[in-house]
Amino acid sequence: MRALSSVVAFAFVACAHEGGYEPVVSGGDAKRGRQAIAELECGACHQIPGVPGAWGRVGPPLAEYRHNVYIAGKHPNVPDVLVRFVRDAPSLAPDTAMPAIEMSDTQARDVAAYLYSLE
Amino acid sequence: MPSFIHKPRRKVVLLAAGALGLVVLGALSASVVLLSGAYSTAATTQHFKITHRLLDAGLRFSVRSHASGVKVPDLAREGMLERGAACYRMHCVQCHGAPGVARHPAGRGMLPIASSLAQSAREWPPEWLYYVTRKGVHMSGMPAWEFRIADEDLWSTVAFLTRLPFMTHQDYLDLHAESADFSCRAPTEMRHDALHGDVKVVFRQYACHACHRIEGIVGPKSRVGPPLVDWPRRKYVAGVLPNTEENLIRFIRDPQGVSPHSLMPKLDVGEVHARQMARYLLASE
Repeated sequence: MRALSSVVAFAFVACAHEGGYEPVVSGGDAKRGRQAIAELECGACHQIPGVPGAWGRVGPPLAEYRHNVYIAGKHPNVPDVLVRFVRDAPSLAPDTAMPAIEMSDTQARDVAAYLYSLE
Repeated sequence: MPSFIHKPRRKVVLLAAGALGLVVLGALSASVVLLSGAYSTAATTQHFKITHRLLDAGLRFSVRSHASGVKVPDLAREGMLERGAACYRMHCVQCHGAPGVARHPAGRGMLPIASSLAQSAREWPPEWLYYVTRKGVHMSGMPAWEFRIADEDLWSTVAFLTRLPFMTHQDYLDLHAESADFSCRAPTEMRHDALHGDVKVVFRQYACHACHRIEGIVGPKSRVGPPLVDWPRRKYVAGVLPNTEENLIRFIRDPQGVSPHSLMPKLDVGEVHARQMARYLLASE
């Protein structure tokens, strides 16, 4: 039953997003983003696949992030907003528990690019 | 030597018998579950996960295949977004909700639950959205809107949907206000190509079979109105008018006008469809 379920789930995922919206961060590099996420310790609060030690449970898990419809439940999940949000969450979601995190614009773009690369 | 030849054949026979046995066993256990009442039809009883996944996958494959020929028009034409917002407000938000806007209570407890369209529109191309909106979805509560919304406004709705995933609550409220003077247009006459020349679709789309058993139409065993079976033998329409094509059309279009206390409501049936229905009934044996 579980195996069958997985097969169906796979078929479902395989064809889930064809032709759909695909967020792309201009100037962002996913590989560098993974590194930045490790250095900035985003994993202290979030589960982030592919980043060693990123098992935090304070914020939501970030797997398959590009399929999320909203950021912080307040804004459409689009590249420009995510780039801003990872760096300065309180400016977009005033009551958020997520702090502003010091990073360069390039780093923010890389981080967003990595999050969007998660399957 | 002969046994060497016969062995594989015996194996085949055994396998076939085994398979047949399994099918019979499956049918028997299904009957037991059904007849015993063990299966719950309550909307509070969740589907199995695999049932959900299968239905989802089935929907996607079907929509992808059926929408492959759909040509998407320019969705950025003036007024389209506002008209789409009007359609959404009138027909969709009740079950699907909107950014920061709750569904109507009826849309909250459904099984399966109507999808949040901000996600659907993010994942699905416009032609799929159009197809599903136009044709509806089996056993899901999603009706075929081609019979309620004019084709151009089906596309307006799609234009709106493609923007929905990128709207904040405030964006939605603003558009809601800006589109206050727009309305969602109904089709002037039911789409001819949608009917495939099949008058049974006409009956079904006016919900006739919710109250009447109708010759040749599969539906509930309704006993609200009289059965429309063997109709040519009837002497009267609604017990008041002689059973002729013209009288039948009159009654179908305005039941309470013909028979003042009739419980049959006016369903806004157009002349063309009323005639198709009348002819169908009068030709049924």
